[in-house]
Amino acid sequence: MTQFDKLALGRRALGRWTLGAMAAGAALRPGLSYAEGGSGTVVAAIDNDPPTLNPGISTDYATGEIAAKVYESLVWLDVDATPQPSLATSWEATPDGKTYSFKLRQGVSWHDGKPFSAADVKFTFEEVLGKLHPRMAAVLKSLGAMIETPDDHSVVFRLERGYAPFLVQMTVFDAPILPKHLFEGTNIPAAPASQAPVGTGPFKFSEWNRGANIRLTRNENYWDKPKPYLAEVVFQIVPQGANRSAGLQTGELDVVSDFYMPKPDLPRLMRDPSLQNRQGVNIPAIWFAMFNTKSPVFAKKEVRQAVAMAVDRPRLVQQVMRGIARPGIGAFGDGFKWLVNEDVTYDKKYPLDPAKAKALLQQAGYDGSPVRMVFDAARPQLRSEAQIIRENLRAIGMDVQLEPLERSVMLDRVFTKREFDITLQSFFSAGDPAIGYTRLYVTTTSGTNNNASGYSNPKVDELLAEAATAPDRERRAPLYKELQVILNEDLPSLVLFDEETVNVATKRVTGLWTSIDARDRWAGVRIQGN
Amino acid sequence: MWFVARRLLHAVPLLFCVVVLNFVLIAATPGDPVTILVGDFPAPPGYVEQVKREFGLDQPIYVQLFRYLGHVLTGDLGYSFANRQPVSTLILGRLAATLELTLTALLLASILGIILGMLAARWRGSWLDSGVQGVASAGYSIPDFWLGQILILIFSIWLGWLPSQGNMSVRGAPEGFAGFLDHLRYLLLPALALSFRYLALIARITRAAMLEVLSADFILAARSRGATEISIMVGHALRNAAAPVITVIGYNLGFILAGSALIETVFGWPGIGRLLFDSISRRDYPVMMAILLMVSVTVVLANLATDILHRMIDPRVGDR
Repeated sequence: MTQFDKLALGRRALGRWTLGAMAAGAALRPGLSYAEGGSGTVVAAIDNDPPTLNPGISTDYATGEIAAKVYESLVWLDVDATPQPSLATSWEATPDGKTYSFKLRQGVSWHDGKPFSAADVKFTFEEVLGKLHPRMAAVLKSLGAMIETPDDHSVVFRLERGYAPFLVQMTVFDAPILPKHLFEGTNIPAAPASQAPVGTGPFKFSEWNRGANIRLTRNENYWDKPKPYLAEVVFQIVPQGANRSAGLQTGELDVVSDFYMPKPDLPRLMRDPSLQNRQGVNIPAIWFAMFNTKSPVFAKKEVRQAVAMAVDRPRLVQQVMRGIARPGIGAFGDGFKWLVNEDVTYDKKYPLDPAKAKALLQQAGYDGSPVRMVFDAARPQLRSEAQIIRENLRAIGMDVQLEPLERSVMLDRVFTKREFDITLQSFFSAGDPAIGYTRLYVTTTSGTNNNASGYSNPKVDELLAEAATAPDRERRAPLYKELQVILNEDLPSLVLFDEETVNVATKRVTGLWTSIDARDRWAGVRIQGN
Repeated sequence: MWFVARRLLHAVPLLFCVVVLNFVLIAATPGDPVTILVGDFPAPPGYVEQVKREFGLDQPIYVQLFRYLGHVLTGDLGYSFANRQPVSTLILGRLAATLELTLTALLLASILGIILGMLAARWRGSWLDSGVQGVASAGYSIPDFWLGQILILIFSIWLGWLPSQGNMSVRGAPEGFAGFLDHLRYLLLPALALSFRYLALIARITRAAMLEVLSADFILAARSRGATEISIMVGHALRNAAAPVITVIGYNLGFILAGSALIETVFGWPGIGRLLFDSISRRDYPVMMAILLMVSVTVVLANLATDILHRMIDPRVGDR
């Protein structure tokens, strides 16, 4: 038992302060020092208890934050989003993109000592991801994926059609590999291992003090020796954004992911000499205004185009995101450089011009009826975004009524009932436009977080499907460029800006952020002086 | 004894109504837990129905209500959708932290409030009285969550004396008495922020009650007998002024319990209040219901205890 284990046990046993009072007189704690070997504890913030610690059944951000240290996947994405070996050491795909063969790493064991094998991979895909994962289940079903295990260390995926983002989606967030021996035959969401995970990753689950913190300890038997370097990682639950910023400054916290960072505090934190940050390296995500094309006002595309000419996107970036974002340029933003169609960007088609917008609005026969703008009230940036857009649209004679709603109510109003004129949303691409952005434009009749605009264009549907199956960027790019010609003209949604994340940490921590997803790859993280 | 039994019997239909009313109100609120559970990506076909079936949310509302009532009567508070845990486990794990915070806050508020109220009444019209009245007005008008953030700003960020959130050190937490002191450092700011409003209330009530008593004849008689000032204030005046003060303290136990939600959220205190706050935003009905029921039971019991105490202090109450 290490000194740290003893302390942890002692603290647990200590319990509440009444007991503490009885223990009066005990010695002060001995100073902890982790001079060599780079051990120590990194404290990272999350905002709430995650719903589960099983990343196979949830895309919750905090679940992913913790699971990425405990579980592993076949590949991980480096800062350029290029897949790198993790549980798979190598792979190859057939030219038609329908067969992927992976060689698995040997000598890997689960945290409970059982060996990892191809059977775990097959089980995870067939029984967990294919049935319960909010993103992967639909993908695997639509691909008709068949999984074969020629031997204990090989896995072959046979797909009915090519799927360009297949490898990009093999990460720990979309395709974590779970232990078959602990989940087989259980009700997976309720299984003990969904609360107390057992993975192959650099850190082992240690304890979950609900409402307070989740503690992970070093996996001594990790396959990539001498990593991991840290003795412990603690995820401290800090519900208030302002306290997360404060925690970084007081040294109570070491790392805060962008997702938990209150935007107004960022400029101050980025100037703080004791802190470091990584800006703008992230999986693309776009913030947009979606029009209800079935509503009387926005049925005409000229009205939507008038809005595009009236909304001051650079101002939104400055005031809403404190300059940390890039103004929207088209239907898919500019996060995927290879697909941007420079000929039809918003800047070319809709330069800021309130007078022209006003004229276009009158031409389209807009009768001055008020429009309802619905958004999630819990996101302060959306509120300021809404206020600026309201001001922009008032200048062209459009009266916008803001309807901030609680998230679950908003989801119901927008995506189920479609009772809105404009809604402010943001979508995460999850690494490829086919995974995260297709849903914004493809014909959709129901379901949350997809195209609620009512826009339906068979040509767009066809191009989107083709762009998802084409095997390489050379063949995909022209399809996405053609899509931008149509979508930037029809404007079922107006992309306001591309997100730029800023992850912040104290300078004592090194080895962070080797992946495009700041939550991944912590085996090489170290901390000085604790 | 009869009095206690009668009061407890009265509480049964009251609690029943609370459960039914809470259930109906929550069910009538727009939004549902499944959309929150599903996450930020479109769910595959059938997934939403599957989750609804899993939690019995596919049943009509009256079936859900009867099922719930049946479970509550057998002591089963249900299963949390969002946390995938039995509600009772979840609540028990968080109860101690809330009791610790709220009781400390109430204790602080009571002791300081009574002392300040007494001093203000004794030196009525003095600068001390004005000061206490000022504190009382501030206590009423400053929202506790705002006060919490100001306390963090001053004591955590500017002065660096106290931690800004949590309930114990996560990095190498000390043991023994040092651990107790470490924990007190975390408790101090949230307890102060939570107590301020009640401190103001108790100080005002104490002051008013003391002023009334201090003008009574028996105080004059005590003075003329040459009783010391302390014995007059504590032994005679406070004793007779205690009834309304105790009533206020007792009746506010429920409020302070329910009101801890914001303070627990501001300070990241792992208690029931924050669990309630989270369960509302996640539409985690079983947890919301159980906590609301718990608060109702606490209010009923606290009121009962207050009445009993009231009778003990002032025997005339029972005869009315």
